[in-house]
Amino acid sequence: MNVAVLKTKAEQALSEAFSGAAAELPGSSEIRKLRLDAMGRFGALGLPHRRVEEWKYTDLRNLVKEVLPAPAASKGVSVADIEAALGALAGLEAHRVVFVDGRYEPDLSALVANEDVSAASLATLLDNDTSAVELLDVSGRDDDAVLALNTAYAADGSVVDIAPLATLDKPVLLVFVRASETPAFVAVRNVLRVGEGAIATVIEAHVTLPKAARDFQLNAATKVIVGKGAKLGHVKVALEAGGGVHLSNWLTELGPDADYAGFHFTASTGLARNQVAVTFAGEDARIDLSGAFLAREGQHIDTTLVVDHAVPKCVSRELFKGVLEDHARGVFQGKVIVRPDAQKTDGKQMAQVLMLSPDCEFDSKPELEIYADDVVCGHGSTSADIDDDLVFYCRSRGIPEAEARALLIESFIGEALEKVEHEGLRDALGELAHNWLRRIEPARSVA
Amino acid sequence: MLEIKDLHVKLADEDREILKGLTLTIPKGEVHAIMGPNGSGKSTLAYVLAGRDGYEVTSGDILWDGESILEMEPEERAAKGVFLAFQYPMEIPGVAGFTFLRTAVNAVRKARGLPELSTPDFMKFVKAKAERLNINTDMLKRPVNVGFSGGEKKRAEILQMEVLEPTLCVLDETDSGLDIDALRIVSDGVNSMRSPERAMLVITHYQRLLNHIVPDRVHVMVDGKIRKSGDASLAKELEKSGYAEYQSKAA
Repeated sequence: MNVAVLKTKAEQALSEAFSGAAAELPGSSEIRKLRLDAMGRFGALGLPHRRVEEWKYTDLRNLVKEVLPAPAASKGVSVADIEAALGALAGLEAHRVVFVDGRYEPDLSALVANEDVSAASLATLLDNDTSAVELLDVSGRDDDAVLALNTAYAADGSVVDIAPLATLDKPVLLVFVRASETPAFVAVRNVLRVGEGAIATVIEAHVTLPKAARDFQLNAATKVIVGKGAKLGHVKVALEAGGGVHLSNWLTELGPDADYAGFHFTASTGLARNQVAVTFAGEDARIDLSGAFLAREGQHIDTTLVVDHAVPKCVSRELFKGVLEDHARGVFQGKVIVRPDAQKTDGKQMAQVLMLSPDCEFDSKPELEIYADDVVCGHGSTSADIDDDLVFYCRSRGIPEAEARALLIESFIGEALEKVEHEGLRDALGELAHNWLRRIEPARSVA
Repeated sequence: MLEIKDLHVKLADEDREILKGLTLTIPKGEVHAIMGPNGSGKSTLAYVLAGRDGYEVTSGDILWDGESILEMEPEERAAKGVFLAFQYPMEIPGVAGFTFLRTAVNAVRKARGLPELSTPDFMKFVKAKAERLNINTDMLKRPVNVGFSGGEKKRAEILQMEVLEPTLCVLDETDSGLDIDALRIVSDGVNSMRSPERAMLVITHYQRLLNHIVPDRVHVMVDGKIRKSGDASLAKELEKSGYAEYQSKAA
C-alpha cells in the first residue's frame, strides 16, 4: 500500500542525485545493483512520515525539505582539531579510527591492526573484496526507507573485526568528524563483527569542528554481529552541535549466550533519530540498551527500539533518560516482540524524562507484542519536573539555584550513565552531560 | 544577633496565617529552644528563616547581624551563615555525599570570599568531622541520605552543619526518630559547635533533647506566637504540665 504517488522535493532530489552519485560510489557491479535496488525501494517508500507508525512522532517528510549535496573534500584537519572536537572523549585511551565528512582518514587514525582487532575502510573493501556485498546487504529490512538510502549512498565506514576469544585492551573509537564548511549530506555504513567469546567496547563518536556548517544531514547505519558467548559494549556519542539531521540505525544480531550493551548519548543535535533493532538468534543471550538524551531549543531526539525475542530464554533491559528544555521534543518508542517459541523471555523497559519547560514535549510509546505465555515483561515511563523541595534543600546549603538544578539533573541522568561499563568512558560522558547542563561547549572544555 | 520582629506569615496560596506576630531575639553565644505543640508554627518559622518558597511574610522583619534577610535567596542566607537542620532530611539519589558536601562548602566559601578547598584538603576537613559523628567514608560515598536510617540522616545533617560553619543554626525537631545513642552523638555534635560567635535555635516537641543540649532560654510557642519565655527549667515544667494551659489561653 506504500505507493507514494506525489513525491516531495527532497524525495525527488534524492532519487535524481543518485544517478549522478552512483558512478562515484565504491563497489563492484554486484554492489551497484544492490544500491540501485535500494534506491528503487526508497523511490517506492519515500521519506517516512507521520502516517507510518514507526515514524509517527518524527515526520521526516515534513522535517527534511531539502537534500544537501555531497561534502567538498576537507583539507588540513589535524589531530589537534579532532582532539578539541572530542572534548571529554579526547583523553580516552583507544584504538582511534577517524573519518572526516564520512571519509576514512588513515593519517589521523591510530589503530595498529593486530591478531585481535582490525578496522578496514568499507570503501576499500567494496572495491576490492568480492564477498563485500554482505556488508551493505540489509535484506529483511526492506521496508525501512532510511536504511535503503543508507545502502544506496554509503560511501565509506568502518568494518571492525574482533577475533574469536580476543579481549581488547582498550576500546575501538570510531570518530566521525563533521568538517565541511558547506552544508552536506553524508552516508556511512559500519560493520562490527565480534568473534565467538571475544570481549570488546566500540564507540562511535560524532563530533563537529568549530568551522563546520551549522546544517548537515547524516545517515549512519551499523550492522552488528555478536558471536556466541561474546560480549560487546557499543556506545554512540552524538555531539554534532548545529541544526542538522542525524539518522542512526543499528542492526544487531546476537548469537547464543552473547552479551550486548548498547548505549546512546545524544546532546544538542537539531534532529536525531536513534534506531536500534536487535534480533536474538540464539538462546541465553542478553541485551542492555540504554541512553541519555539532552535537548533544548527546538531540538528533537527520537529513540526507537525494536527487540525481537525470536528464541527462548533471552533477557532484554532498556533504560533511557532524557532532559528536555525550552520547546525541545523527545520521543521514545520501544517495541518488544516475543515470538510464540520464545518462552522464558525476560524483558524490562523504562523511559524517563525531566521536562524543564512547559513548552517541551515527550512522546513515549511502549509496544509489547507477546505471543508466548511463559514470559516476564514490563515497561514504564515517567515524565516530571525537578523536585522543588530538593532544589530548596540544596540552596539552603548554599548551592546557587542554577547549580542545584544542574546537580539534580546530573544525578537523574547518572542512573543511565551507570550502564556504561567502561569507567573512563562513563566519566567522559558524565563530563559531557555536566558541560551541556552548564552550557559549556565541548570544544572549550579541553582548552 | 538574630532579631525576629512582630513576624506575620501566611501560606502563599492560602489565606491562612501561621505566624501571628512572633517576636524573638537570640544573641550570639546563646542557645534558645522553642517548644510547642503540633501545628503551632514551629516548622514554618524554621522554613521562613531558611527562605523556603510557599510562605508570604505579610509584616514584620527578620534581622541577622543587623541586616534583613527577608529578601535574600536561600543560598544567600546560607552564605551569611544561616543553616537549617531539617526535620526530614532529603534523599538525593545519584549525588554522592562527598560531591554534595564539596559543592556546598565551595559555594559558601566562594560567596564568603574564601578560596575553594582542593579535593585532598576537603577530604581531610570532612573526614575528621565525620569520624566524631560516627559517619564512615562508605556512608559519604553513597548518595545523600539514600537508604540511611533516621539516626544516620540526622548525623549526616549535623555533619553538613559542621562543614558549612554557620553562625546561625536552626535545628528543626532534630531529636525526632533518634534512639538514645544517636541522640547523644547528635547532641555532642551540636554542643561542640556552641561558641560566642554562634547563635542557635533548637526547635523541639519534647524536653528530652534539652537534657543533652541545655538551652540558655526556652520559649513556648502556641498558635503562631511566643506565649512564655524562661530559663532551662521552663522546659522541665512543660514536660509535667503540657501545653494545655497555653492553648486555652490562645483560644
